[in-house]
Amino acid sequence: MENSTYTGFFGKIKSRTRGFFSDKAKKIKSFFVTLPQRLKNKFSGAREILTQGNGKVCASMLVMGLGQLLYRQWAKGILYLLVQIAFVAYFVLKGAGDFIGFFTLGVKQGNAWYGVEGDNSVIMLLMGILSIIAIIFYIVIYISNIKDAYRIQCAADTLKKPESFKKELSSLLDKNFHKTALALPIVGVCVFSILPIIFMILIAFTNYGGAVVPPALVDWVGFENFSKILTLGQFAPTFFKIFGWNILWAVLSTFINYFAGLGLALLLNKKCVKGKTFWRLFPILAYAVPGFITLIAFKFMFSYGGPINQMITSAGGAAIGFLDIDAKWTARLIGLMVNAWLNIPSGMLLATGILSNLNTDLYEAARVDGASAWKQFVKITLPYVLFATMPVLISQFIANFNNFGIFYFLRGGLYMDGYFLASDTDLLINWLYNMSIDNNYYSIGAAISIIIFIVTSIISLAVYVMSPSYKQEETYQ
Amino acid sequence: MSKANTAMGKRTIKPKKLFGAAITYLIILAVCFIFLFPILWLVLASFSKTGSIYSFKGFFPTSYSFDSFIKLFTDTGMYNYPRWFGNTLFISLMSSLIGTTLTILTAYCMSRFRFKSRKAMMKTTLVLGMFPSFMTMTAVYILMTQFNLINQQWGLIMIYSAGAPMGYLTQKGFFDTISVSIDEAARIDGASNFKIFVKITLPLAAPMIVYTLLSSFVWPWSDFILPKLLLKNKDLYTVAVGLMSLDNTEFSRFAAGSVFIAIPIIVFYFALSKFLINGLSAGAVKQ
Repeated sequence: MENSTYTGFFGKIKSRTRGFFSDKAKKIKSFFVTLPQRLKNKFSGAREILTQGNGKVCASMLVMGLGQLLYRQWAKGILYLLVQIAFVAYFVLKGAGDFIGFFTLGVKQGNAWYGVEGDNSVIMLLMGILSIIAIIFYIVIYISNIKDAYRIQCAADTLKKPESFKKELSSLLDKNFHKTALALPIVGVCVFSILPIIFMILIAFTNYGGAVVPPALVDWVGFENFSKILTLGQFAPTFFKIFGWNILWAVLSTFINYFAGLGLALLLNKKCVKGKTFWRLFPILAYAVPGFITLIAFKFMFSYGGPINQMITSAGGAAIGFLDIDAKWTARLIGLMVNAWLNIPSGMLLATGILSNLNTDLYEAARVDGASAWKQFVKITLPYVLFATMPVLISQFIANFNNFGIFYFLRGGLYMDGYFLASDTDLLINWLYNMSIDNNYYSIGAAISIIIFIVTSIISLAVYVMSPSYKQEETYQ
Repeated sequence: MSKANTAMGKRTIKPKKLFGAAITYLIILAVCFIFLFPILWLVLASFSKTGSIYSFKGFFPTSYSFDSFIKLFTDTGMYNYPRWFGNTLFISLMSSLIGTTLTILTAYCMSRFRFKSRKAMMKTTLVLGMFPSFMTMTAVYILMTQFNLINQQWGLIMIYSAGAPMGYLTQKGFFDTISVSIDEAARIDGASNFKIFVKITLPLAAPMIVYTLLSSFVWPWSDFILPKLLLKNKDLYTVAVGLMSLDNTEFSRFAAGSVFIAIPIIVFYFALSKFLINGLSAGAVKQ
């Protein structure tokens, strides 16, 4: 009885989780059960084209656009033909070499001394990725070409006039407007988000970095970097120490920021507080100042010449190195505090927004039943807010897990004994930065970022799929 | 019995309530002080006469003047603040314009169209969002060298604007609230989707567009990681990189430069604080 709300809340999560997994299990089962049928359906289209397609469709298979030309679809035919010519030209002149280079990563070592221009493995890797993307694009267009030819054949067989090219173009502003509108964003995301990620993932499986940078030749090494991080004496102790602190940091800072933000929102929501908007201005002010300014300012504040140490020395004490190399826990605490200062305001804004949607009747009823303020908080406010902000809470956890700025500004570039290119306040993300940007350990850095990604993405994807906002998306429209 | 109890309760609660209110106000004052103090410290330091943090008495300068601000804009030999400011303004404005266009288009399509790869794309953007932008920094750096975009402001602008559509969810939520029946009415009248988007949806979404413009302006305006990585030339620095490069003794100059760059953002946040709350809770569940 006492914990009914709690068990209700956690019970809900539990059953939701169970539901999620049994759902997935059912889905996976049905996936395999219906697989042959679906494959059949998928290929029945292909088989239909192969068996029913006439000579003109086969012409399109041989040379893109030929079928369309034979059907007198000039504009489309010429376009497909041009794509074919361009691709063949690219592939013969450059693509084939790039594609092979992706696997070899260069065979000829350059030597400036003898004037030998060798292979640049990194560029070869990049060009290799681009050639694979080009090939995939070509295949997609090739298939659309055959489908299109077959569609024209069907239309011709039934004596219907095939859709004119002009009409198809104008559909790009109507029925297919999304294709037009999304083209540019998708290209942008592909080039500036997906390509770097693919590149980074591939680098994690090479030995690029350290002494092995062009003109030296880079090679594929499989999972060697991961086993190095997890077992080798040089990296492993640092990795596990930093990983432990990183988890502790993410949990602590998320907890502090979340509950302090909620507490502040509740405090300002109290009935006896007058001028709520005025009081809210102060945290918003703190929120509005760009983070790097606040962080540099706090570094100044805790530095040897900073105001705090000045006050200590003028009172007769000795200056304290708050962020010195041996200031393990002081530095960590300062980091937590500064992070709280930076993030409580947004937590407060979030909680204020959520609380304004909360039905006040519940409190009225609770008051009639004689519930104390604390009980009301634990039984009504907390479950509601927790439930409503679960997705945000997860994303905050991940943001804190990867909080680069705090220790980069407070204690950046500090290398300690017992750590490999890191200090005891550094998070994995700082270590990654030290390794790859400052010290050229590219492949190890890439491997670390993959580990971070796996840890964080599993958590967030699972929670996102489970959250009601994903499941009930349509109900709000 | 119960009546007597409540009467008693009422009488005893009053001073208790007063006491509670006093405590509440005390805590609020303390919290506000904590949030205000570092900012106040920075603002006062920017008006310091001597400029060095070592000449301060405790937290505050001993004498005040406008020297730091004047020096900030006139003494440009070593630290060219006006130039940094111009660079930041250019990069932020361009990224904001292009990024907003892409974001609004993406959000509109995701909200209004049901196409084959939609769910897959939504999940993909979510997973891509899991990569903190600079986790792929090495890769971006190498790519930018290949594209010859190191030390190029357009390189930064491209990265910022290309990344903007990934945060389309707030805007999509807004489009979701605009009723589809208006679109349907227009479609019956023979309007194409493009026409509906330009003539109906965009005007209705004006507040959201303003919000997107401003919030995509703020990111490049206060980012330090990308410019630090991609702009090596001192003349191309943004304010963030420039302020980071300041010498330790130049505290007032740093403070003055910070005050100057923080003001637009603070104005923006105050003007849009209502929007902000909605935007922040967009990821939360409405009940």
